[in-house]
Amino acid sequence: MLDRSIIPIPTKELFFEIPEIKFLKLMNDIDISFVHKENLPIVYAEIIVFSGSRFDPADKKGLGYLTSLLIDEGAGEYDALQLSEEFEKLGSVLSVSADHDTIILSILSLTENFERSLELISKIVLSPRFEEKDFQREKKKVLDRILQLKDEPSFIASSAFERLVFGNSYYGFPEIGFAESMARISNDDVKDFFARTFTASNAKIVSVGNLNEEEIVSLFNKYFNEWISTSDNNQYFENPKRKKTSYYFIHKSDSAQSEIRVGHISKKRNTIDFIPTKIMNTILGGQFSSRINSNLREKRGFTYGANSSFHYYKEAGLFEISTAVNIENTGEAIIEILKELNGIREHISDDEINFAKSYLIKQFPSRFETLNQIAKNLESLLIHSLPTEELINYTNKVKSVTNEEVIASAINNVLHDQLVIVAVGDRKKVLNQLKQIQKAEPVELDLYGNLLT
Amino acid sequence: MTKNLLKIDYEKYSLSNGLQVILYPDLSIPVVAVNLWYRVGSANETNGKTGFAHLFEHMMFQGSQNVPKEGHFKFIQEAGGSLNGSTSFDRTNYYETVPANYLELALWLESDRMGFMLPGLNQEKLDNQKDVVMNERRQRYENQPYGLAWEKLFSNLFSNDHPYSWPTIGWMDDIAKFELDDVKKFFKKYYSPSNASLVIGGNFESSNAKELVKKYFSEISGTEPVPDIIAPKQSADKPKKIIHEDNVQLPRIYLAWHTVKAFHEDDAVLDLLSDILTSSKNSRLHKSLVFEKQIAQDISSFQYSGKLDGSFIIASTAKPDISLEKIKDEITNGINKLISDGITENELLKAKNNIKSSYIFSLQKIDLITDHINHYNFYLNEPNSFLFDLSRYEQVTREQIVDAAQKFLTKPNVELNIIPKKK
Repeated sequence: MLDRSIIPIPTKELFFEIPEIKFLKLMNDIDISFVHKENLPIVYAEIIVFSGSRFDPADKKGLGYLTSLLIDEGAGEYDALQLSEEFEKLGSVLSVSADHDTIILSILSLTENFERSLELISKIVLSPRFEEKDFQREKKKVLDRILQLKDEPSFIASSAFERLVFGNSYYGFPEIGFAESMARISNDDVKDFFARTFTASNAKIVSVGNLNEEEIVSLFNKYFNEWISTSDNNQYFENPKRKKTSYYFIHKSDSAQSEIRVGHISKKRNTIDFIPTKIMNTILGGQFSSRINSNLREKRGFTYGANSSFHYYKEAGLFEISTAVNIENTGEAIIEILKELNGIREHISDDEINFAKSYLIKQFPSRFETLNQIAKNLESLLIHSLPTEELINYTNKVKSVTNEEVIASAINNVLHDQLVIVAVGDRKKVLNQLKQIQKAEPVELDLYGNLLT
Repeated sequence: MTKNLLKIDYEKYSLSNGLQVILYPDLSIPVVAVNLWYRVGSANETNGKTGFAHLFEHMMFQGSQNVPKEGHFKFIQEAGGSLNGSTSFDRTNYYETVPANYLELALWLESDRMGFMLPGLNQEKLDNQKDVVMNERRQRYENQPYGLAWEKLFSNLFSNDHPYSWPTIGWMDDIAKFELDDVKKFFKKYYSPSNASLVIGGNFESSNAKELVKKYFSEISGTEPVPDIIAPKQSADKPKKIIHEDNVQLPRIYLAWHTVKAFHEDDAVLDLLSDILTSSKNSRLHKSLVFEKQIAQDISSFQYSGKLDGSFIIASTAKPDISLEKIKDEITNGINKLISDGITENELLKAKNNIKSSYIFSLQKIDLITDHINHYNFYLNEPNSFLFDLSRYEQVTREQIVDAAQKFLTKPNVELNIIPKKK
């Protein structure tokens, strides 16, 4: 019989170098971040526009999101159906996504169909139609979607949490907006929003795949050369102040679980302790065998899963613990999360740090497997204005972090006494559990995170 | 071009204990994927003991003789790998993708739980995972708008004695009742090398991989072959309508018809039909209900086919103040129009291009490729079926699509209405 108690150890070291990243410029000055990858006859490209819901007027929340839905509803000589038809013929996948900081148009295409796909995207960027009938249809669709969201506990919890963390700053509102604010938006608002934010000076491009540098530059120059508009893209972010730990509750009748969010505003992506924080969060709640998931799922069975993350918007960070738990365990689950937040500030073992470093270093190559994954790495550099060294030196940086830096990161970035704690569930079952938590005085909110009075 | 891309160079052989092994080396990537299929899914369960194959999948991550609880995750993650498992009606799969120098670790872990799982098992672990699975059921189905639709639909489409009539995750009451003895019996019956196939894909030397497979798997003994499941033949002689109240704002209709099993000659035809009906802005039902008439918020369809049977499903959410009856009428009109007027060459071409592109896009990930190889091996007994699979779609004619719509979608169906709870 084989002695199976011996854990196999690799006999050789692997060396991994990230693909060569190049920064190119178009004739109209737009930056392209570029990687050549030849293994398959496909190309992925995205146009990142620094637009998004941070530019929504205060009384018209949802305008950026609605604009992102309308830009591909007809462009140039094609109406909405014809334009879609042109993409369908190619088998190319166009997608438009909108968040607080950006609107991103991306295309995944066979190399042979890439030029035509790009030509179609240039029409979207340079001459969208914004016809009234398309506006009416898509706006109604968004209003009906907002209605549907009233029944999605996870959305309710996340958007209330972000509202409480970010207050009235522009990260405090859901991209999709509210029924009242959406109702106020006109097609002229959309056209104006587009003209104001969809400018060449606000755009950056990522391209990855089976076309070389010259081919990519010449194709983008051919189709995007007329895009020369500029605008002042400053939008002041008022950094909200953290308050002492507060509990909030939202009633959702008949819920089968409670949705829980715990966290606070945190530092921006360019913080010098970004990597120590990443190591620390890997231990706290960043992967399956983390402290939070091991405790809430594998030890107590309260949930299917629980995690913590540091999310980076352009102007601020968000530290968030997220889980959905059996309704009877809502109070206990929050208490356990608080214990873990205190615990990580008090002690982190060398083994845990070594594990987290090994995990982050060795999984790094797998972040470069698909074109889309490579592009997301480049996108992150562009959005946060970071140098390529962030990727090139990543492994060495993780290696060189000291245990003291990881421990300091917990103390500086997990602020156990300045938390926003939100629970969404059935009042009959949840409220008393919250009241029993020491020092908790739960405040009840409506479905949108406003105080119930 | 496509032909060369989809020609997979592989080697298939069996160990004397019955384990099927398929090797697909690709030295151009820095990782290796290990993908193991056990020929057991929720269709092997019985009424009163549903959800077991899935619960068992959870137990497989709870450790074995030489691997502590949570150890499987810890070892693979420390190596920078990714891992998971999934359960369907027909099979359960387990997979990990690791840096190329960690192939042996993955094989050690998979073989320890294939051969030596029971010594690591105890009541505490089972109770814990029962709680986790009950929370999975709450999170993914019960607390989601429309989340219970699929089990309502399938339990009405298939007769009570058909193994596709219960959900893969199982009924809540059944999950709560499972005992340690059930786990042991289930393991002994289904988790054996003779009931499994192992695919290794990516960066490895074949001779080395063969040595390692032999080292870790050859001493695990096989078992009696598991007999094929005999499922009662299904048909609907009259339409059936179910109404379910849920926490939703907009009502949604689901229509389901009996069709054909996976890789039946009409299976690919029905995939293309689904594409033509709902996959894009210009697809027929989307264009009519969502874009032009604006009576539906969304519409989708698909051919779901398994080893034992298949079903074609259309689902659509009504706009406020629009009745599901109205939605159903428009869907029926759309299907009838397709049958009477036929489809255009352009529609068929778009659907085929769409499928061809998604095929090529999917070749970017070695874990998807290895899972596909196991999929083909399971359903067709031929791992290298990428080209065959694509040709199933390329050969379909316009007439076949119309015939399939006529043959399947004009028969009596099961209709499910999910409607807002009365206040």
